[in-house]
Formats: sequence, structure tokens, C-alpha cells
Amino acid sequence: MSDLTKQKTNYWEFFLKREWSYTTGAVLLAVLAAVLVVVTGVAWGVTGPFANWGGLALEAIGIDADSWVIFNGSLAKYSLWKDQTGMLDLGIVLGALVSCLLAASFKFKKIKGWRQVAAACSGGILMGIGARLSLGCNIGAFFSGLTAFSLHGWVFGIFIFIGAAVGSRLLKKWFM
Amino acid sequence: MSDISNAKPIQRAQRGGRGLTPEQRARRKFVQITTGIVVLCVVFLIAFAAQTANPNGAFIVLMGTAFGYVLQRSRFCFTASLRDPVLTGGTDLTKAVIIALALASVMFMAIDISRFGMGLENLDLSKTAGFVRPVGFHTAFGGFIFGIGAVIAGGCASGTLMRMGEGFAQQWVAFAFFVVGSILGGFVLRFFQAVPLLYGKTSVFIPSAVGGWIPAIILQFGALLALFVLADWWGKRKAGLR
Repeated sequence: MSDLTKQKTNYWEFFLKREWSYTTGAVLLAVLAAVLVVVTGVAWGVTGPFANWGGLALEAIGIDADSWVIFNGSLAKYSLWKDQTGMLDLGIVLGALVSCLLAASFKFKKIKGWRQVAAACSGGILMGIGARLSLGCNIGAFFSGLTAFSLHGWVFGIFIFIGAAVGSRLLKKWFM
Repeated sequence: MSDISNAKPIQRAQRGGRGLTPEQRARRKFVQITTGIVVLCVVFLIAFAAQTANPNGAFIVLMGTAFGYVLQRSRFCFTASLRDPVLTGGTDLTKAVIIALALASVMFMAIDISRFGMGLENLDLSKTAGFVRPVGFHTAFGGFIFGIGAVIAGGCASGTLMRMGEGFAQQWVAFAFFVVGSILGGFVLRFFQAVPLLYGKTSVFIPSAVGGWIPAIILQFGALLALFVLADWWGKRKAGLR
């Protein structure tokens, strides 16, 4: 243990601890997105399976969500292993956790006050509705849409920007 | 188990401020790195399990983990890239997002052209790289409320998942309500789809709309370049004013 933690040649600092620049992140994300498309044929998305997961949770507590028009029997057929987007989501959470732990910077951050709860609830619901309406989130509709030369990606991008400007004002007024 | 009980006083000392002895710091580092390696092993186990049900399963799990790792390491946040120009005037992240968009556009374009050629007559929109989806009022309205929600909740879709992994309790709550909103959104979308004014049914693939790849390339990269220059100018102006 002491060998691992007290060594002077700091490869750990160099490879795992040091933060990367935004540009490094940008280049790597673009490369990963292209590799994903080439191998699986389906681009990166995030929010697609969220409604299904909610439906499955409702089923688990005895509510027959599968008969609702928005699911229409699709919940019975849902399998996480066959859902590329769902598995990517799981990977994102685990990848971020691994990244924090290997850098020894993981820290559980508790919720500070009811304002944060209110912000998380209202923000989460707005994002959920917004993502379904625009047929994708900041990844599926913006990052994988704009880059696919699709007009909806550009329109979505312009309007999240306007929404973010309005949201910043609300955040300052109510939640800070 | 002993690791967890030993880690407690360390966390408490850290919350208290600077009271972290070098030994505590070394211990914390050891515990975290060990846990990190264990979690990485769990990722590989999940990848194995996924492979049994899906021919691309292991690859997809590892790709997701790579996305999460890159997002966390570079503190990449789409919400902040759109929020900071307004909130703080910072545009470093905005410029990085534009770089990512331009690079991914180049690669997606290359994939499309290698599959369908420079002409658009053989094009199959369901097989192009990335997503080409219907555009209309629903896109604009959805984007608008998504933008508000992302800023308030402190993270967009990818940012929320990333912060869940980083240990933010707030984002676990946001995620739960993101799921609730997705179900509500399913119903709202059905309502929108029933009203022609609210829902545009046509997908617009820019190269088809403007008459070929060349004008589309000029438009796409011209717009991204203009946005980059604008973001750079805005960031410098705001920094000068401060």
C-alpha cells in the first residue's frame, strides 16, 4: 500500500489525476461518436429509454403501464441488453464514477436545502417533456442530429440556447 | 467493509476543511483507487453479460463507459456551454462544443459519402450516420423547455448521468424526475402529433434541401465557423469588461 501511495514518480498524477482540456474532451467525444456509428450503425443517444424505465418501475409496483397508449405493449418486450442507448447510459454513470475514483476525487455531495430539490424536480420534468417532444435530448437531437446535417439538430440547438438563457434568469431569481 | 468504516473519519475531517493529514490523504487515495479498479472490473462483468444477449453488447457497454470517462475527465457539459455565455460570459466550453460538432460532422459526412456516394439519389435517410428526424414547432418548443430544465436542474441528459456517477445526490433526484417527465412527455407528444400545426412530419436533410453536399458543407461549416468566431469574440469582450 505504501508503495502505491507514496511513490515519487507520478505516473498516476499524469495519467489519472490530471484534468483534460475541454478541447481534448471535444475531440475524443467526436471520435467515439463516429466509432459507435461505424460499428453499430446507430448514433449516440441518451433519453430514449427513460420512459421505458419509468414504465417498468410502475409495472414493478403493480400499475399496468404497459397498456397505456405511449407504451402499447412495448414494456413486455423491453430488454436492457438489447437497448444500445440504455447500455450507453449505464456506461456513462459507471465511467464517470471510475474516472472520479481513479483520480481519488470522488465525494458524495449531499443535497443542500429544499431549493436544490425543487430545482432537480422541476428541471428534470421539463427536460423529460422537452426531450420527448423534440425526439431527442442534447445528445440525440443536438449532438447526433446537427452533425447528421439534419435541420432539426440546428433548430433544437438554437432553442435550447434560448431556453438556457431564460433558465439562467429563473435560476438566479428562484434557485440561488 | 473495513475500508468503509475507516473512510468515515477521513470524510469528516475533509468536510471540516483543511484538516487532512498526509496519512489520511494517502489512505483516501488508496481506498478510492482500489474501489475504482473494482468498479472497472464490474464494468467488464456487465460487458460480458451484455455480450451474451447482444452481438455488440460488450462493445456498447465499454463505449458508454468511455463516454462517461471522457465527459468526467474533461468536465464536458453541454448545459454549461449554452448557459455560461449568458450567466458568466465564459465561452471556452462553447467553443469546445463547436469543435466537437464540426469534427463529428466531418466524420458523419465521410461515412455518408462512403456509403451513398456524392450524389443524393441513392440516399436512405434511415441509414445515414447520426439522426435525421422530423422538424417543426415541436422541435423548437421541446428545445426551449429542455434548455430551461437543463439549466435549472444543473445538467443536461449526459451531464445528469455523469454527475450521478460523480456522487451528486441532486442529479439522482433530477434523473428520477427526468424519467417522470419522459412519461408525461410521451403523452404530450401524442397530443402534438395529432395537431398538424404543432408537429411537422417532414425530416429535413440539409444536403437534400440545398441541392447537394457542396452547398451543405459550405452552410454547415460556415455556420459553425461563424458561431466559433462569435463565441470567441463574446468571451474576450466579457473577460475585458470584468
